Amino acid sequence: MSLYKNSPFLVLLVLSTYALASSVGVNLTASDSADRLSLSPAAPAVVVDSPVFKPGVDSLFSLNLLSSFPEDLEISDYCSDLLHIFGQRYVAYVNCLVTAARPVKVCQNCFSTYGSLMNIYNNISSDEMGPGNVSCRDSLLRSDHLMLVYLLYSNMEDIWTKSSCVNCITKGFQSLTNDTLYFISTLNQTLTCFEKYQQGNHTELCKDCKNAYRDLNELYSRMETNLTMCIDIEDSMNMTRRLWSKNFNCSFPREETVPVIAVSSFMLFLPIIFYLSSFLHSEQKKRKLIHPKRAKSYTTLMNIQDKLS
Amino acid sequence: MANIAKKVSWSSRAEESGVAGERTPLFNGSEQPRLSRQLSGGGSVFQIGRLSTVDLEEEITSDEDSQRGRPKEIPHNEKLLSLKYESLDYDNIENQLFLEEERRMSYMGFRCLEISRWVVCGLIGFLTGLIACFIDIAVEELAGIKYQVVKQNIEKFTEVGGLSISLILWAVLNSSIVMLGAIIVAFFEPIAAGSGIPQIKCYLNGVKIPRVVRLKTLVVKVCGVICSVVGGLAVGKEGPMIHSGAVVAAGVSQGRSTSLKRDFKIFEYFRRDTEKRDFVSAGAAAGVSAAFGAPVGGVLFALEEGASFWNQMLTWRIFFASMISTFTLNFFLSIYHKNPGDLSNPGLINFGRFESDSVAYNLYEIPLFIMMGAIGGLLGALFNLLNYWLTIFRIRYVHRPCLQVMEAMLVAAVTATVSFTMIYFSNDCQPLGPEHTEEYPLQVHTQYTQHEGRLFVSPLLPLVELLLSFSVSLSQLFCADGEYNSMATAFFNTPERSVRSLFHNQPGTYNPLTLGLFTLTYFFLACWTYGLAVSAGVFIPSLLIGAAWGRLFGILLASITSSGSIWADPGKYALIGAAAQLGGIVRMTLSLTVIMVEATGNVTYGLPIMLVLMTAKIVGDYFVEGLYDIHIKLQSVPFLHLEAPATSHWLTAREVMGSPVTCLNRIEKVGTIVDILSNTSTNHNGFPVVVQPAKLCGLILRSQLIVLLKHKVFVELARSRLTQRKLQLKDFRDAYPRFPPIQSIHVSQDERECMMDLTEFMNATPYTVPQETSLPRVFKLFRALGLRHLVVVDDENRVVGLVTRKDLARYHLGKHGLEELQVAQT
Repeated sequence: MSLYKNSPFLVLLVLSTYALASSVGVNLTASDSADRLSLSPAAPAVVVDSPVFKPGVDSLFSLNLLSSFPEDLEISDYCSDLLHIFGQRYVAYVNCLVTAARPVKVCQNCFSTYGSLMNIYNNISSDEMGPGNVSCRDSLLRSDHLMLVYLLYSNMEDIWTKSSCVNCITKGFQSLTNDTLYFISTLNQTLTCFEKYQQGNHTELCKDCKNAYRDLNELYSRMETNLTMCIDIEDSMNMTRRLWSKNFNCSFPREETVPVIAVSSFMLFLPIIFYLSSFLHSEQKKRKLIHPKRAKSYTTLMNIQDKLS
Repeated sequence: MANIAKKVSWSSRAEESGVAGERTPLFNGSEQPRLSRQLSGGGSVFQIGRLSTVDLEEEITSDEDSQRGRPKEIPHNEKLLSLKYESLDYDNIENQLFLEEERRMSYMGFRCLEISRWVVCGLIGFLTGLIACFIDIAVEELAGIKYQVVKQNIEKFTEVGGLSISLILWAVLNSSIVMLGAIIVAFFEPIAAGSGIPQIKCYLNGVKIPRVVRLKTLVVKVCGVICSVVGGLAVGKEGPMIHSGAVVAAGVSQGRSTSLKRDFKIFEYFRRDTEKRDFVSAGAAAGVSAAFGAPVGGVLFALEEGASFWNQMLTWRIFFASMISTFTLNFFLSIYHKNPGDLSNPGLINFGRFESDSVAYNLYEIPLFIMMGAIGGLLGALFNLLNYWLTIFRIRYVHRPCLQVMEAMLVAAVTATVSFTMIYFSNDCQPLGPEHTEEYPLQVHTQYTQHEGRLFVSPLLPLVELLLSFSVSLSQLFCADGEYNSMATAFFNTPERSVRSLFHNQPGTYNPLTLGLFTLTYFFLACWTYGLAVSAGVFIPSLLIGAAWGRLFGILLASITSSGSIWADPGKYALIGAAAQLGGIVRMTLSLTVIMVEATGNVTYGLPIMLVLMTAKIVGDYFVEGLYDIHIKLQSVPFLHLEAPATSHWLTAREVMGSPVTCLNRIEKVGTIVDILSNTSTNHNGFPVVVQPAKLCGLILRSQLIVLLKHKVFVELARSRLTQRKLQLKDFRDAYPRFPPIQSIHVSQDERECMMDLTEFMNATPYTVPQETSLPRVFKLFRALGLRHLVVVDDENRVVGLVTRKDLARYHLGKHGLEELQVAQT
């Protein structure tokens, strides 16, 4: 659900990335064009169209050179290179994400691109001085209150954290973890089994694939407790479960109604017996009254009577 | 007025028949029945001068003979006062020893006392927090193990069939755990049953409830709470925290434990009722604060319940104890949740955060909230009424410990059965979806990513994960895989977690039918459970009932208004409903408002919660009293309310007081004293000391006399043994609070002839009133000064009577005007 909801946002990101990539070094234009793009009503259509906008942006490019700022306020070549690379990797990652959106494979497919994106961002945001004693962190990340580069990156970071991909990827973004690989192979077995019986009778499928499905379920719940899960695994498990229970209708039937009703009515009957028997057989608790001594002389009470009347 | 005249007539006859000797005890039930009592006849209420339509003359003649026989027995009812409750000595005994000690004490000594008060409060807070933490962790761990067992069993049987066996297993498991809790309560410490709030209310009011603040009670209470919550009863662990805090306070401030026979020789100055009471109110506040994460609410609770004895410094100290307690709990829970140092999750129950836009409220919703308050008041009154009948039945018929244990077990089994059946037959399958946000890993709730079927597992809460996954697999019963049964989440979680999910789950999580059924069953289960012989509170069940119907209300509201879905967030209405229900049941006012506001952590909810609680109280009070007051009444406690009953100004001290009074001479024979003290038919605690002829010169307490007898402070002995150590205040403190009974003190025949000089030990300036003082005036003195005995004197300072707490508490305003309660044994 949320991916579906998020998709316009993703598209927007993609758009802004395109704009950014095509106008490296000219911040004004970049945000300008991004604004323009974001106004376009049919967002998905724009993705396809975006190359068309490129020439337009290019034409603005030349126009903007005339009104550039003096040297010392501009960012250095080194930083603009970094920004350029950042843009490229960003595009690559977002591209990858969009294609892996449904069914979710964002961790399996895009971990390497995310790794490189993270790399370059770390370069940008690091304290170390580049050549010419310039720190790109200040000029790129903190010069304006929009902080576009930071914003873009943090969006991607959010997606990465939300999908908990860390759990499925080895350190250093080398490959998928063994657990994940094992899960995928188990999943594949189950799916193959499903495919085999898909045409025929579903009851047969329920019987023959049960073992594979159960193994998969068990593996999943193990991984659930071990915290070795990412969105890919969850999603594929969801799909499989839905196949199993909705499409193939293999859930447990409710067939024990009579014994359950019998046992529960017996249980509900017990307190009635208990209260009845304790009412009938238990001795009622009585309290012994004690009469405190009071002084009430005739005269005083007469006084009260006078007072009252 | 006619009645008065009649009363006059039989009173005077009583005067003739009853012989008032000089040493006759105050309450002399068995031998000299008062004719005035005959008016009560079969009923239990004796009406004073109002609306009495009984034909008096006939009554007297017919009843006279039977009355002279053995004492009358009546079934237990709410209009009784029990003799077993005594008063606490909140009034300082200013005798010569006390003055001497004060004179000896240096300036530094007083400073040290002040500092040690602070230290004691800190300790109270710390230990209360620790106990709360222990209960919390124990419940989570044990419930986890239990759920694991049932879960595996159900999973097994869902597949191969035979779910009725799982049902039996679940019921048996629950009832055996509850049995354990009920056994320790019923057989070892019955006072630990229930939430303990009524008992603490009584203690702060000045009633000495036997064994209420003992270490044994604390142990039983803590274990009992763990058992009943783990046993799956419809109870909470919050109420008992208040009792636990009070016991901790009473123990710590004394610097010793009489149960363990350890004396640390510290805080000896605090060994008297006045000081102890202050600390107990601090302990109760610390308990509230640990239970709800509401330090201010705790202070206000102590203020509301103990309001008559109060000063600013005490408030400040109590606040200190509350803060320490909530943050101790916090700190240790953060360690338990492997997040040490995180101090931002106070309280055993946490309502979660109400911060998003959807839970903002608007002016036009206020009438709706007030309406919900009225509903809460009605439902609360119904709850209290049902519980009242049930409690009367329990007191009359289910009084044997083994029956009580059986009853508790049955309730546990039925609770499990009902839950199971409802889950079994529920078709309300919802996609899985709850998850934690990583920013607040300890908070179960807040946001939902909408990945269908995603079950997030917190890295920090292995147990939450266990429980959640449990409810998932259970509910999966007949739902499609990857979906859960929303009935199961409501029933199968610990109540605290269910409350939170009702507050915060996104709209559409529960369908109206599920909620309706849940409210109905849980209402009756909770009502049935409260008053069992298990220690457990009623806060959480009330919140849960209220949250369920509040959410239902919100859903219905959203469905009948066209634009409803925008502002009618069900979570918000669940909160209001919870407040309304809780207010309707317990009828607390200021402190409950602040507790709720603090627990939600959102001050802007102050206004609606206050309005709701006000409405609930007004509506509920129209029908029946609050639950705690009902239970106080049913236990026949002589509880002094804020004010004397209205329309009682015409009663004077003369009618109210007990008379004649057992007085002692200033120099009294030991034999006489021993005889008076050992008279079993009376159990007087205060004796006016007189000089002949009957002029009042002081007041002495039973406990003091016993200490004097024990140390043999006789005039003759003092003469013979010149070196004898002079008795000090310390000797009295050492005996406190469990003074030995008179039977354990041996006085030889020779010693009986000795004399005892009481001058030094008696309180030389007891409070006195003239005979014509009106009841409300006497009442005010008692309530404001925390008196135990008030001597009534005539114009020549001669003792004519003695007013005690029971004499005042018997008057109450019933449906037919002023009524008088009767005094009963035990």
